[in-house]
Amino acid sequence: MTAPDRMRLGLPDLGIGVGLRLPHYEEIFETRPKVDWFEIISENFLVPGGVPLANLDRALAHYPVIQHGVTLSIGGTTPLDFDFLRDLRALLRRTKSPWVSDHLCWTGTATLNTHDLLPLPYTAEVVRHVAARARIVQDTLEVPLVLENVSSYLTYTSSDMTEWDFLTAVVEEANCGILLDINNIYVSSQNHGFDPRAYVDAVPAERVVQIHLAGHTNYGDYIIDTHSGPVIDPVWDLYRRAIGRVGPVSTLIEWDEDIPPLATLLAEAERARVVREEVLSHAK
Amino acid sequence: MRNDLASVQAFLASVIPGHAPIPDDPALAEAAARFVTGNGRLTPAAQVDIYRRQFWLRHREILRDDFPALARLLGDAKMDAFCRDFLDAHPPTRAPFETLIEPVPRFAEAWPGFETQAERTFAADLTRYEIALLEVRTGPDAPPLDPQKLASLPEDAWERARIVLHPAMRRLAFSYPVHRLRKAWLVSGEPAVFPDAPSPAHIALYRNRELVTHFEELEPEAFALLDLLAEGAALVPALGRLAEPLPEERQAHVAASVGRWFQQWTSLGLVVDVDLPSSS
Repeated sequence: MTAPDRMRLGLPDLGIGVGLRLPHYEEIFETRPKVDWFEIISENFLVPGGVPLANLDRALAHYPVIQHGVTLSIGGTTPLDFDFLRDLRALLRRTKSPWVSDHLCWTGTATLNTHDLLPLPYTAEVVRHVAARARIVQDTLEVPLVLENVSSYLTYTSSDMTEWDFLTAVVEEANCGILLDINNIYVSSQNHGFDPRAYVDAVPAERVVQIHLAGHTNYGDYIIDTHSGPVIDPVWDLYRRAIGRVGPVSTLIEWDEDIPPLATLLAEAERARVVREEVLSHAK
Repeated sequence: MRNDLASVQAFLASVIPGHAPIPDDPALAEAAARFVTGNGRLTPAAQVDIYRRQFWLRHREILRDDFPALARLLGDAKMDAFCRDFLDAHPPTRAPFETLIEPVPRFAEAWPGFETQAERTFAADLTRYEIALLEVRTGPDAPPLDPQKLASLPEDAWERARIVLHPAMRRLAFSYPVHRLRKAWLVSGEPAVFPDAPSPAHIALYRNRELVTHFEELEPEAFALLDLLAEGAALVPALGRLAEPLPEERQAHVAASVGRWFQQWTSLGLVVDVDLPSSS
């Protein structure tokens, strides 16, 4: 049993948050809704100035903001982009985000940036490769790096361990945190035919710093992580299971396609709050 | 056959930008099966093909979002063709989307999908303007001009004072009035068609103190003066350089207009400082 003060790597539980997205800005700034925190896509704010940073500052005046990235390519085989890390670090000074997250994936090669989050082969060699890069990133940014499991639509012939064993090995070797995306676990479990409960049960609970919940799109033969629509019941069930294991962990609702009115998004966040409190009160 | 991380990534990066479904190509399908397992529902090639389709959808969306007026002008099918050809010619190699879209005007200037050179010139102007709108929106901040500093400048300061322009402001010269046409198409809902004839325009594109982006049409001489000031020339020498090649009548016009121009630029926030180097 991990000591309570070592849960989440000692990082704070911020409660329930939602993604800070352009269509909601004015309503958020005018009404200041009851949201514990916002998550931003870091790359949208790596600009010299102007509108994005002014809006970010308006959010920062009233809410904690956590940085979430999509282009780190921690599993890439091209050199780490230190210009990007320098910019990310400057943004961290502005947001005071207590951790920074990105995906356990690769996004491109020297000849192509896919702007996608591709899965990695699950091997010991790749664990060493990713962990070495993650340590450098964490050292450069000087805040804890938190890696998110991605949704995947393929599996590699070279993989010789489960995804959850791979994730565990990377974060243990790199000494970094986990952003446990419950929807991504569900999507990948349906795409690849594993038991999502086994995944939730296996991750090192004390390293789970943040949780993502989202909707997806089911195409029949496969599911795509589109961040559209509400969270479905099986994902809520997995969330209950995860909270039961990891305790009070900052939880975020992601909704990036067909973005609904703010009230709909906040209702989904409220549902997460109720579910989380139910599970935590039963655990007491 | 190598199956290390770099080989896996190189294979996927080689097929993801493709146009045709990977399962339709026996050689690619065979290669996919070396790296990817497939499952009971999807072959290895079909699994990889999900990423190929996502690549196209994602980048088409980026280009449509960043060039809404071009998309409106071309319509869905032709815009798709433009995007396909552009991504073939300039596959994204770096993460920031700004680096992806930067070559679009140059590409438009030569795209064979346009019927005439006039259409290409127009599309190049339009896409240059649409990129500038994004740049102005996110360009560096600068504190506004301090009127006290301006008032306290000695009489002879304009001989050597360097006028500092807002770093997010863009000066743009077009063969067509794309700034007005874009507004008419996207804001007023007018039909988007290629204009019949060129009509050169010079504009300053800037954001005001409320961070709203505007354009200001400039006389050619005012535009040229802003260029000289942006290069770092002091006002009086810049006016000298500007006037020198002009006919007498235009020289008189510049002399009569410069006060009004400067007043306009300061009120719009295009001038953010006056830097007076020490005379020693």
